[in-house]
Amino acid sequence: MTSNHGSKDMTVDVLIIGAGASGAAAAASLSEAGFKVKCLEQGFWQDPSKYASASADYDFEMLTNWSVDPNKRQLDEDYPINIDNSPVTPVMFNGVGGSTILWTAHTPRFHPSDFRVKTLDGVADDWPLTYEDLAGYYDRNDEVMGCSGINGDPANPPRKPRQMPPLPIGSDGMRLINAFEKLDWHWWPSDNYINSEPYGEGRDACNFCGHVHMGCFKRAKASTDLTYWPLALKNGAVIETGARVRRITTDSSGIATGADYVDSKGVERHQPARSVVMAANGIGTARLLLLSKSDSHPDGLANSTGLVGKNLMFHPFAMITGVFPENMKTWQGPLSNFAMSQEFYETDESRGFVRGYTYQFQRSLGPGWVANGGFTNAIPWGDSHHEELEKRLGSMMAIAVIGDDLPEPHNSVDLDPDLTDSDGVPAPRINYTLSQNSRDLLDHGIKNATKVFETAGATDIYVDPLMRQSGWHLMGTARMGEDSSNSVVDKWGQAHDVDNLFIIDGSVFVTGAAVNPTPTIQALALRTADYIIANRNDLKG
Amino acid sequence: MTSQHSTQEQLLEAIMDRMIPAIGDLPSAGQMGLVDEIIQLAAKQKRFEDLFHSATAAFESSSPDFLTSSESVQDGNLKTFESNNPEHFNTIRTIVYIVYYKDSRVHKRIGWDGQPPQPQGYEMDPWDESVLVNARKREPFWRKV
Repeated sequence: MTSNHGSKDMTVDVLIIGAGASGAAAAASLSEAGFKVKCLEQGFWQDPSKYASASADYDFEMLTNWSVDPNKRQLDEDYPINIDNSPVTPVMFNGVGGSTILWTAHTPRFHPSDFRVKTLDGVADDWPLTYEDLAGYYDRNDEVMGCSGINGDPANPPRKPRQMPPLPIGSDGMRLINAFEKLDWHWWPSDNYINSEPYGEGRDACNFCGHVHMGCFKRAKASTDLTYWPLALKNGAVIETGARVRRITTDSSGIATGADYVDSKGVERHQPARSVVMAANGIGTARLLLLSKSDSHPDGLANSTGLVGKNLMFHPFAMITGVFPENMKTWQGPLSNFAMSQEFYETDESRGFVRGYTYQFQRSLGPGWVANGGFTNAIPWGDSHHEELEKRLGSMMAIAVIGDDLPEPHNSVDLDPDLTDSDGVPAPRINYTLSQNSRDLLDHGIKNATKVFETAGATDIYVDPLMRQSGWHLMGTARMGEDSSNSVVDKWGQAHDVDNLFIIDGSVFVTGAAVNPTPTIQALALRTADYIIANRNDLKG
Repeated sequence: MTSQHSTQEQLLEAIMDRMIPAIGDLPSAGQMGLVDEIIQLAAKQKRFEDLFHSATAAFESSSPDFLTSSESVQDGNLKTFESNNPEHFNTIRTIVYIVYYKDSRVHKRIGWDGQPPQPQGYEMDPWDESVLVNARKREPFWRKV
């Protein structure tokens, strides 16, 4: 039996589904403006002092209980994902902070051209907004999350100064950078939401432990449980954790009325709301919309076009690992993204593909991780084992190619007919194939990264042409657009089909660009919140 | 201890001996007394523990004479298993490598400080803006819209 937590009117103005990057940003803005906000989150609060980077078993934990892959982590709050038809495994975290708990916090912005790929390159679609529309929101987001970086990058438009200087490059980093300079190719210190000096309430500077992807013990990496949520809670917003949403409910006219969910004690409940904001990521949101069928929405909520779940974009990754003759202690410093190159970001038709890619510079970790391969194959067992370990430990670096991913309808999320989560809710199923444009783009990136390592003096070079566990960036499954016949939401994130339903996660992306999406997701969430604040007083009780 | 555990332990020791041979003062991995730790660590996650037990069982049935075979035959058995059962083989190798490289005797030999990454972290030289002297010379090249 479904309960409404007693007889008192529990209706909230805005019900947010998911407490990650976007849900937190919207919650802080909307609650500050006086909206009564509640968030349902299937995971829980995390205690940074218990992150596995301080455990002696950190190498084991990284592959199991703290894996970025929910199919390997298998916590009760995770849902399984059928990946039999995908060469890329989606990765995420379910909890307050969402995937910002385990992300590497690399935060480059989209380029202006990323919003105009149809006009410029004749592919996919233009976004219904521009870089300039988002620039101020990027800045606002940087203020709250805290950005380390530096102005002057010739590959990107000018912008406001970052809050902190860049993270240090290190002598190992300079080895790669010198090679880029010899080749006369662009490089620049990466923007990261990692503190290079103390910034934010109770948040220390990074101490270069390397394990940025396991939760930050020092709170130096920005995750929204540390940044936006404290602001939102101070404003009166409420999070209910351990709350697994079954469906968004609607009335006979098709308007959203709240959500049915299972609470942390297993009790079926209904949360009534005047509006619903979906912030459950590019897989979770599509899953819930498809689960929310009703007489008014027979194909799923906001799905009159059939586009919910279609056009899934991941950002395909290739990884090139180089081994240098010297031990440079490459385990010291953040594993990922101390610098980047966007030499090949913009379209150059002579390359044989459209759009481009970013290079992300990576380090390495300790002996357990190196022995098991790091970003490449495991060290051989047997007679050559010790020699190979000695060769790689402290001497491995890597370059990731993160390619622009263009939307294709056959790349999709749908509902698995058999697989369910621990509450019996149907699980998502992924169907994804790599396009020829993406393959060509990655191959170009591999060839040139190999040249970088050769120039830098690497003695061994290993190539992973398509990383399996790299589906961090979940985008495109409820795309935005002006035309309601070929998009799910408008330029404000408002569903074309449902007046009081908004989507603010990566689902709304029209194209993927070739950078990590979180600052763009959060900027869009802040923009949608501003729209609601300015135009939807009718949602206030 | 059950006889099943005992067989699994003996098998693991023998596998570890072939995977990570002796070096310097250190015996081969199977002789370092790490098997209990492997079994305990695997039990820290149900999914992994199930995989681990099914991997060792699969290896045992694929190579029933492993314990009494010569080293060269054992190597051949392991290579065949690696090729035919990559997921099972990777499960065993992964945990063998993890446990071996968390051992203080191994740390001493390879010069690893042995601490978990936190709370100490590591030292790095501070950010130095002079590294940008060449990068700053380039004119803006982002595509204007």
